[in-house]
Amino acid sequence: MDRVLTDFVKVLRNSNIQASPAETIDAIEVINNIGLEDKELLKRSLSLTLSKTPQEKDDFYKCFEDFFNSEMILDNSKSELPEIKNNQSIEVNSDLGNLLLKSDQAETMLAIAEAAEDANISEIKYFTQRAVFTRRILENMGVSVLEDEVRLMSGVGQDGQPSALEKELRLNLSNLREKVSDYVEKQFLLHGDVSGEHLREKIFKSLNMGQIDKSYMHEVHSLVRKMAKKLANLHSRRKKNHRKGKLDIRKTLRENWSNQGILFGLNWKYKKVDRPKIYVICDVSGSVGAYARFMLMFLFSLTEVVSKIRAFVFSSELGEVTEDFKKQQLEPAIEHALSRHGGGSTDYGQALSDFVSLCLEDIDRKTTIVILGDARNNFGPDKSNLLKLIYERSKQVYWLNPEGEYRWDTGDSVMTSYSAHCTKVMQCGTLDQLERVISTLLRTAI
Amino acid sequence: MIKGPSEEISEIKKGFQKLKYICNDQIATAVYLAKALDKPILIEGPPGVGKTELANTASLFFDKELYRLQCYEGLDESKALYEWRYGKQLLYTQILKEQLGDVLKGAKGLKESLSKLMDFEDIFFSEDFLESRPLLQSLSNRDGSVLLIDEIDKSDEEFEALLLEILSEFQVSIPELGTIKAEQRPLVFLTSNNSREIGDALKRRCLHLYIPFPDAKLERKIVKSRVPDLNQNIQKQLVSFVQGLRDLDLKKVPAISETIDWARTLILLSAEELNEDLARETLNVLLKYQQDIEVSQKEIPRLIKESTAR
Repeated sequence: MDRVLTDFVKVLRNSNIQASPAETIDAIEVINNIGLEDKELLKRSLSLTLSKTPQEKDDFYKCFEDFFNSEMILDNSKSELPEIKNNQSIEVNSDLGNLLLKSDQAETMLAIAEAAEDANISEIKYFTQRAVFTRRILENMGVSVLEDEVRLMSGVGQDGQPSALEKELRLNLSNLREKVSDYVEKQFLLHGDVSGEHLREKIFKSLNMGQIDKSYMHEVHSLVRKMAKKLANLHSRRKKNHRKGKLDIRKTLRENWSNQGILFGLNWKYKKVDRPKIYVICDVSGSVGAYARFMLMFLFSLTEVVSKIRAFVFSSELGEVTEDFKKQQLEPAIEHALSRHGGGSTDYGQALSDFVSLCLEDIDRKTTIVILGDARNNFGPDKSNLLKLIYERSKQVYWLNPEGEYRWDTGDSVMTSYSAHCTKVMQCGTLDQLERVISTLLRTAI
Repeated sequence: MIKGPSEEISEIKKGFQKLKYICNDQIATAVYLAKALDKPILIEGPPGVGKTELANTASLFFDKELYRLQCYEGLDESKALYEWRYGKQLLYTQILKEQLGDVLKGAKGLKESLSKLMDFEDIFFSEDFLESRPLLQSLSNRDGSVLLIDEIDKSDEEFEALLLEILSEFQVSIPELGTIKAEQRPLVFLTSNNSREIGDALKRRCLHLYIPFPDAKLERKIVKSRVPDLNQNIQKQLVSFVQGLRDLDLKKVPAISETIDWARTLILLSAEELNEDLARETLNVLLKYQQDIEVSQKEIPRLIKESTAR
C-alpha cells in the first residue's frame, strides 16, 4: 500500500501539487486509520492532508480519479482472457507464446515490469517517447519471435481457416500490446514531465522575452508569478529595531534587576517589518512593444505579492496604474495599460517630468526606483537632470534595459546620459535575467 | 463495539446537525481525522461560511472547553502564550530583601552567606508568577480542550513560527521553567481568510480544509436549521436569490451568515413572499458596499423571476 501511495504522491507532484514527505507520512497514517474500503472517504481524507490550497484541491480530485481508477488496489481484476483449450497439435516454442497461453495475469505483469526495467522506463520524460518505450518493452519480451511463429502458423490451419491456437495467440498478443502501452502510460505519468511544463519553463526562462509568442502569455504568467512570489517571500522578512514604539516590560525589568528594580535603561519592542517601497516605471512604447507585455506582466505579479509598490507606465505621457493592477485581472489590466498609455512614440523627458511632478514628494531615502526601458528617446530632450533629482532623493535607481549591451547608445538610445544617474544599469532581456535583477533589487531595496 | 470511521463520521455529522451546524461529509471527515490523528485543522474559505462556528460547535459537541485566540498584527507571545507577572515579581524581591537578614543569620564570611543564599528556595521564576494566555491555558487543561486560533492570516509571520512547536508537539518551551507538555492534546482549529499566504511549514503540520460557499440544497438546510420559523416557500426563493447574487461580479459576495441575517429580517418584516420591492429595500442586509448594491439593483427583477421559477 505504501508503494501505491508514494506512486500517487509522485503523480501529484507531477501535476504541480507539492506534497512533502511529511505530508506523505501523514497520508499513510490517515490510511491506516480509515482503511481502504470506502473510496469516497479515502478521497476526502487524503485531500485534507495532501492538497493545501483550493487550486490544489481541484487538481487533487482529478488526479485521484485518474490514478485510482487505473490502479489495481481497488479492483481485484479477474482474468479477462478466455479459457484455454490446450488441445492443439501444433506446439508453441517461444517463451512469450507459452507465457501468454498460460494467461497468468500476475506473471505477465511481472514479465512486463522486468522488460520495462531493461528498457530503462524510468527515464521516460516526454510524451513523444511513449511509442518508443512501448516498442522497446515488447521487443525485450521477445514479441518479434512470437510474431514470426504466428505468421508461420497461419498457413497450417484447416480449410484455409486460422487454427484456434493461432486465433488465441493473436488475441493474446493484441491484449499484451494494450497492456504494455497502458503500463508505459502509467510510468509516464509517474516519471515523465506530463504537461511538458518543466521543459517549457526552462525554455521560457532562457528565451528572449521579445521572442515569446503572445499565445503563451498564460503559462508565462504563472511562471512569472511563481518567480515574483519566490522573490518576495525571500526578501520580505527583514525586521528593523525601532527606537520607539511599545515598551518591552519583560526585557526592561530583566535588565534593570541589577539596579534593584529601578528602571535606568529602557528597552523597546522590536517593531515593524520593513517592507520595501518600490516605484516601477515601465516603458510601453512601440520600440519596446514586444517586451512591454512581459515587463507589465512582471510588474503585475510584483504588485500582487509586494504590497508597497507603485506602478507607472508611459510612452509619451506617464500615468499611474497601481490601482488598475490591484483591481483587475492580468489580461484586462495589461490591455488597459497598453491601450491607454502604450503605442505612442517614446518621450523619456516628458515621462520623467510627469513622474517628478506626480510623486517627487513621496520619494525618500527608503524608496527604490526601477525603470524598465530601452532609453530610445526619438532624439528628444532627455532631461537627465530630472533623473539626477530623483536619484539624489531616492535610495537607489535601477535601470533595466531589455536590449543587449552592445546596442546601447546606438541610434537614438541615450543610455549613457541616464546611466550616470543610476545606481546600476542592467540588461534584462530574458526571464532568467529579470529574476536575477529583481532578486538583487529586493535584497538592496530593504 | 468498536465503531468504524464511517460510522463515527456520520455520528459527528448528526451531532453537529443537532447543534445547528449543518456540515457536509468533507467537514465531518476533517473533524474526525483531526481527532483521530491529533492534528490541527487549518480552515480556509471566504468570510462568513462558518469557519469560526465550526470550532464553536466542535467544542459543544465534544464537551470541551473552548479557548479562542483572535489574531491581529503585532500579536506576540506575551499575549498569546504567557507573561510573567512583573508587578508581583517586583513585590517579591522587596519582601525578599526584608527577609534577607533572617536567611543569612549566623553565617560567617561571604562564602557561607552565599551558600545559604543558594540553599534558599527561589520561586522568582515559578508557576506562581506565570500568567498564562490562551495557548498555554489550552495546553495545560487536563480534560482536553478545543483551541481556536482565529484569522491566523492577520498575524505576523513570526507568530506563525511560534505556533510550529505548539501545533506539532503540543508543547511549549518556557526558558525559565522548561518544557510544558499537554497531557491531553487539544483539538486545534486555525482559520484563515487568505489575506496573506500561510507559510508552508505551518500548512504542512495541519490538515487543510477548504470550505466554499454551500450549494443551494445545503444552504437551504442551513437556513432551515438556523431560522426555523421562515416558511418553506420564501426560504427556497431566498436561497436561490442569494445563489444567483453570488454569480454577479461583486466586491463582496454575500456569505451564509448574511443569508441568515436576511432570513431573520424577512421574518421581522413578516413577509409572505419575496418580491422585487422587498428585495430592493432589504438588499443592504446582504450587500455591504454601495457599488455592489448598485450593480445588483439592475439584476433584481431577473433574480426574483428565476428564484420564483425554480
